[in-house]
Amino acid sequence: MKRKASYDRREMHGNPLHDGLRIEPTPGPTTLVIFGASGDLTRRKLLPAVYRLSRRGRLPAQFAVVGISRTPMDDESFRAQFRDSLKEFAGTGAGVDEVAESLASRMFYVSGETDDAGLYERLQARLADVNGAEGVLFYLATPPTVYAAAIEQLGASGLADAPGRGWRRIVVEKPFGTDLDSARALNRLAHQHFDEDQVYRIDHYLGKETVQNLLVFRFGNGMFEPVWNRRYIDHVQITAAETVGVEHRAAYYEGSGALRDMVQNHLMQVLSLVAMEPPIAFTAESVRDRKMDALLSAQPLVSNGDGTSPATSHVVRAQYRAGWVNGVEVPAYRGEKGVAAGSVTETYAAVRVHLDNWRWAGVPFYIRTGKRLPKRTTEIAIQFRRPPLEIFRRASHASVAPNLLIVNVQPDEGISLRFETKLPGTRMQVAPVMMNFRYGTTFGSEVPEAYETLLLDAMLGDPTLFARHDFVETSWALVEPVLDAWRATSGDIPTYEAGEWGPAEADDMMARDGRRWRSL
Amino acid sequence: MSSSSSELLPSGAPVSFSEISEAMALGTCQHSGATPMRALVATVVAVGPTERLGDAAEALQALGDAGTVRGILISEGDTTAPPARVAGNTVALHGLKPAFFNNAVAALRLSSLPTLVWWRGGRPDTLDGLADLADRIVLDDDPPEPVWSRAAGLFGDTAFSDLRWARLTQWRALMAHFFDIPEVLAAAADFSRLTISASDRMSARLFAAWLSSSIELQAGFVVELKDGSTGTPLDEIRLGDHQQELVVRLAGHRTCLETEVSVKGHRSVSRLVSLQAHTLTGLLTEELRIRARDAAFERALAHLVSRT
Repeated sequence: MKRKASYDRREMHGNPLHDGLRIEPTPGPTTLVIFGASGDLTRRKLLPAVYRLSRRGRLPAQFAVVGISRTPMDDESFRAQFRDSLKEFAGTGAGVDEVAESLASRMFYVSGETDDAGLYERLQARLADVNGAEGVLFYLATPPTVYAAAIEQLGASGLADAPGRGWRRIVVEKPFGTDLDSARALNRLAHQHFDEDQVYRIDHYLGKETVQNLLVFRFGNGMFEPVWNRRYIDHVQITAAETVGVEHRAAYYEGSGALRDMVQNHLMQVLSLVAMEPPIAFTAESVRDRKMDALLSAQPLVSNGDGTSPATSHVVRAQYRAGWVNGVEVPAYRGEKGVAAGSVTETYAAVRVHLDNWRWAGVPFYIRTGKRLPKRTTEIAIQFRRPPLEIFRRASHASVAPNLLIVNVQPDEGISLRFETKLPGTRMQVAPVMMNFRYGTTFGSEVPEAYETLLLDAMLGDPTLFARHDFVETSWALVEPVLDAWRATSGDIPTYEAGEWGPAEADDMMARDGRRWRSL
Repeated sequence: MSSSSSELLPSGAPVSFSEISEAMALGTCQHSGATPMRALVATVVAVGPTERLGDAAEALQALGDAGTVRGILISEGDTTAPPARVAGNTVALHGLKPAFFNNAVAALRLSSLPTLVWWRGGRPDTLDGLADLADRIVLDDDPPEPVWSRAAGLFGDTAFSDLRWARLTQWRALMAHFFDIPEVLAAAADFSRLTISASDRMSARLFAAWLSSSIELQAGFVVELKDGSTGTPLDEIRLGDHQQELVVRLAGHRTCLETEVSVKGHRSVSRLVSLQAHTLTGLLTEELRIRARDAAFERALAHLVSRT
């Protein structure tokens, strides 16, 4: 393991002018080096995020971007690509303004093959030219197949080492491995050249405002944590539904599927935030330790020892058929461009997770995710137990609905609480009502994009919202037996019609537990 | 008198003081017919002479219509039974005797949520009673010196800020960013002169007071204030000596701030950041996000008042 990165947020507190400053901390002098600079992620997310950070005044006085990719380009072409990406993806309408032009003048480009040592010599020279010996954030926005080469070459060229008071960090996009072995191998390689506290495994779900608010909601309020346990909570449902199909990602998605694409990373992160014990402080290690504890308590998703096959266990996969979504007819997954005619890749996955710990023993966490579902929504629903005695049942001729706490992650970020109330009138009738808090309308300010938050945190040296190596590996260890069991299963994959809420098997899974999926 | 009241909140309905709460609840329900009821976050009370409350009324109504605050406008006068008008989440009381400002606020503020008082002028001693009730007082007087002196003695009672101060946020942030550069930090001891071009001299003095109270400046450090030409509070700030300089200035048709740094051992770097629009609603929104005492403002104001 190498030495610790030295220039971080704590050091910036040495600047007396930051005391009491209303604008949040800004990083020290930084150069952002983007591998995969001509790629989709860079154009759609990274460059617009850099621009918005600049507009908000969150970038340091000394800041530069160096783009790297195979595509032959000069600095001016890269700047033109930056301007184009703003027009298309920055959501500002105007696209290019004075701020963008000022930023463009600090953008540079180096082309080359990721495994070519010469590329890193040219990069070294360019860094010396634009930034000197200050902070450098390497961002791997490339296909995962070139992660290893980039990490190795950064190490071999000495670029992973920061001279003097500078720092070096590396951001690695998902997927971090395709299974447990590959994730371990990538972690080993990264640790040969970087310290763990220099490695930032990005999961953009953790940059979402509502996901972060889970921590504030649970640990910044005194009234929720006492009921946040098996005594009061019946079960938890985590849903990540998309209306889109595989789109232009068929090549990636065919080798991935819903379980790898969503459950292993994003939804396990969300689950751990819901289930974690209170950290002793809001520090990266304390928060990540408690998340890790929660994940370690998860029971295997597939019982291989007792003869139970995955088909009858609480794991469901399915693939969408042709159907109708968002007002248009859509083809089946197997009819999408780039998808094999006999593909058994799952576009829907549902799992039940049990956490074996004092807080959650006996409380199931149901996770479902899918493509081509009726609406785009991501939410966490905490369903509480019913009152022990239903004294209004006779008067109302119905059971009271259990209390429900819903954390809307997207698109309408907020928190809702469902509780029972008396209907106005002379009869004692009860009915459920929703109390809603919405970020967009309550605070009236623009919610930052997840990539803005995470990019800034990486520059500031705050890894709280990034996945740690052990979390990634444990998460893979949890889902890998499911993938193995699916691979070993003969016969076709279950299906659901595009535009419906998943396959009948997922409903059956809930029914076996005497529960139903929330209607969304 | 009632015509002045309607000028403050022309879309509002006249009500008696005792009916204000009911009228606001009704107004909120009617409002929620079009837009779902939202979570309120604070009460904002604007106090001052009638002629300075017109634009304040518009800002409070904008915040009230967004569903985030209850707005209370109180204009200074000599009546003990002021006419009131209610529009949605905003109420206007016209010509109330200053001695009863705090009673009116106590009756009309939202319970359990912060109360922010927006001081747009009036007798400075009224501040004392409001300081007991308010969680935060945002000063916005012209000229500000009398109320600044009064406020400096009330820092122990409540949190204070000033809209002039809020308008300086980005200027201060950009100056702070310079000092993240190690070479700038090292050169700071050599800086001997601060030159500020400003159309609002008090903003310039506040900025200079902040800098002087935040970093150690060499003996004989010179602060020079020049008249600005853009009509915005500040035009340009230059800090340095005869060889080195940090510059923050308006640029891009006053929509941006440009920074330049030129110090020993560091190559000159220039950049532009967008200048946030300083509407009253935007400035109040910024103030509503702050919950703690603003130690930097208190230090700067105390520094400034002590030299006045």
